Amino acid sequence: MNLERLPNEEKLSLCRKYYLGGFAFLPFLWLVNVVWFFREAFVKPVYTEQLQIKTYVKRSALGLLLWVAVLTTWITIFQHFRAEWGEVGDYLSFTIPLGIP
Amino acid sequence: MSTLPVVFFAFQTRKMDLRSNKWIINFIVCLFFMGASCSSVEKKIYVHLNYTIPCVRLLNATHQIGCQSSLSGDVGVLHVLESEENLDWVLRSGPNPPYMVILESWLFNRPVMIKLKESSRRVAGVVVVAPSTNPAEGFSPHTKCPNENTGVYSESYDPVLAHCNETVWNPLGNGLSYEEFDFPIFSLKDDNDTQIIRQCYMEHNRAANGSSPRYPLCAMQLYSHMSAVTDTATCMRRNDINFSISPEMVCDPLGDYNVWASTRPLNTTTKGHKMWEKVVIAAARLDSRSFFFDIAPGAESAASGFITLLGAAHALRNATQEAPPNRTILYTFFQGETFDYIGSSRLVYDMENNEFVVDLDNVDSVLEVGQVGRLNNSRIWLHSDPVSRRNSSIDDEVNKLVNNLRSASAGSGFSVEEPGVSQPLPPSSFQRFLRARQIPGVVIEDHQSAFANRYYESMFDNAEYLNVSYPPNLTPEEQLEFVTDTAKALTEVATIVARALYIQAGGADTQLRNINADPQIVSQMLYGFLVRSNNSWFQQLVPADLASHLTDRPTNFYVGVTQQPSEPTSLVQYLLANLTGSTMNITQDDCQNQRENESDKDSKHLYNYRWVQGAAPPNSTNRQGYCVRSTVHLSKALSPAFDLREYTSKDYSTWTESRWKTIKGRVFLVASHELEMLTLGVGVGVLLTSLLLTYIISSKADILFSSGREPTNATY
Repeated sequence: MNLERLPNEEKLSLCRKYYLGGFAFLPFLWLVNVVWFFREAFVKPVYTEQLQIKTYVKRSALGLLLWVAVLTTWITIFQHFRAEWGEVGDYLSFTIPLGIP
Repeated sequence: MSTLPVVFFAFQTRKMDLRSNKWIINFIVCLFFMGASCSSVEKKIYVHLNYTIPCVRLLNATHQIGCQSSLSGDVGVLHVLESEENLDWVLRSGPNPPYMVILESWLFNRPVMIKLKESSRRVAGVVVVAPSTNPAEGFSPHTKCPNENTGVYSESYDPVLAHCNETVWNPLGNGLSYEEFDFPIFSLKDDNDTQIIRQCYMEHNRAANGSSPRYPLCAMQLYSHMSAVTDTATCMRRNDINFSISPEMVCDPLGDYNVWASTRPLNTTTKGHKMWEKVVIAAARLDSRSFFFDIAPGAESAASGFITLLGAAHALRNATQEAPPNRTILYTFFQGETFDYIGSSRLVYDMENNEFVVDLDNVDSVLEVGQVGRLNNSRIWLHSDPVSRRNSSIDDEVNKLVNNLRSASAGSGFSVEEPGVSQPLPPSSFQRFLRARQIPGVVIEDHQSAFANRYYESMFDNAEYLNVSYPPNLTPEEQLEFVTDTAKALTEVATIVARALYIQAGGADTQLRNINADPQIVSQMLYGFLVRSNNSWFQQLVPADLASHLTDRPTNFYVGVTQQPSEPTSLVQYLLANLTGSTMNITQDDCQNQRENESDKDSKHLYNYRWVQGAAPPNSTNRQGYCVRSTVHLSKALSPAFDLREYTSKDYSTWTESRWKTIKGRVFLVASHELEMLTLGVGVGVLLTSLLLTYIISSKADILFSSGREPTNATY
């Protein structure tokens, strides 16, 4: 879909849908929202709906950062301690590597 | 430009369907030839090793032992180690680490291997060249105190005798089999492969007077990646996790089947205690191991004992049928004894839980035949347990058994003696019975204290060590029939064992003269197990499907994993059936349905019927099969720890074998790191240049290709 061809109200409703959708544990929606609407929110000349789009994009970015931080921390901890945790580590794993603890 | 071919093909497919099909076929054929030429390039680069014997990973409750490579194989520059001083090149001074060390077998000892293990960053792997003759100084990669923690001698049984405090049974043991190496170790036979390796090393890698050799260097890659890791509890847990998309088994418990037979048929449908039944257990072990996976000749450590017992069982066939003694003799052949008594611990466990045809109350006594192939000065040693003999009634029973053996040996060339009263039992299956209950019993061995066997659980414990050798110029058929001195000695021992068992079972002394082991049978068994299982005699005694698996090599006595009976188990099963059973004149159909005629429903509870392929009469190629009726049965030899799911058990064996995908090795030449990088750099450079050129050409296409035409922008 080309944003250029969309009227401003629809842009806002689309951005809003992506923002709200992200709350359903779908941080990638927020990522898409940020990338897709970044130009609309911060580069384009001012229009009425832009302020709202800006808020949604900012909040999406914040949420995304939070997710990135949480996931990075967890993945680091998991990869580092999986072998030490033994049984728990195995049950938490989706694929178990062959030949290493 | 680039759209032109696409348009062309589109045109073809649209207009001429038949033609395009042909074109596709041509294209596939082309690809095929490209593939074929690829594999011939591979052949030019790599020399694959034909006969590789790896060392694999085994796990128990607490440890992992053995070897493994990385997933994509470990590569190292070849270095043929000529002396121990030469090791410095590998460990410190050599300029091209990591090295693939080629060891002559006399350097395959603990100090060298531990040094290599400690600097494993500079060692990519080890290849041991198996010699054609045994090392004179003896070699045992096993521990000094085999099955130290799962025998009867624990701290609580008798602290003085625990951990081989009194007698170190295997003083030559260096424990290499129980070390963990994080590089692959392979064994190669001294043949063409090793010639190629040596030649490649001499031509490329040998440093002239201390200078570093010039590239290209000869290198080797070994693959033996193991799936299981850490310990049995971990790998069994990972076997059970079916969570992932492609669940994969990583290890299997070691185990097989025990073979047993009774002189009187026992009803196998009723388990547990049998009223009025007393059995004398005659036991031997069936398995051995070595450092490497599929080479376990076990001539002295396993074969000498069970061949003797098979010979004794054969000697007793007629006497026990014509004048049956009041007690039953139960021949048992235990599998997996090397790995913490898998077979015997399972049998005792089954007896305790009423899962076997008799229980421990039915056991009168135990007579075990251990290692008897290296009899010194014609003396047979009778080992017994000093702790249970403190009980006077047990002591009386043991003395009776010893006296029976003594009287049985009268007249033979052998003397029967007891070692010192305070000496514990050597590693033996009987220890597992004593662990459960005080049972009188004796273990027959050829050694007074430490093992006479100088190659215990090693690849040198072979026919040569048992002096099973034949005069030159004999055909395989003549070798099979040839009675060696070892066969004569084992026959004598078998006769003594048979007679002692007969008296112990309550038979009459008058029958003893008729109980004689057959030297012919014993030598044929020695030949079959230690030299070549693919021989005419074995082929007669086994069914066709097993006969096709017989090989021209010595039998491998490694217990393996519990999937189907291994070759030694099957062979002993059919040998025992033929040696103790009787030939029935019934049809193949009845035989395979375990009955003697159409209406027979009960015989299968007492007997087992086996159809074997028999011999071909002279002037015919069709074998005449026959049916053997015997009391030979198999019973599971899987450690109870796996049924109880106690993977950290201290009482039962917890050994598992890791699974793997590829075991292979190959030799090739490697270029220097600089040259590799240069090639890669040039390649990347060419790619970038061509991209740049294409870009420039396509952007200036209207200028470059404008000849004879108007420039495209002229239309504007």
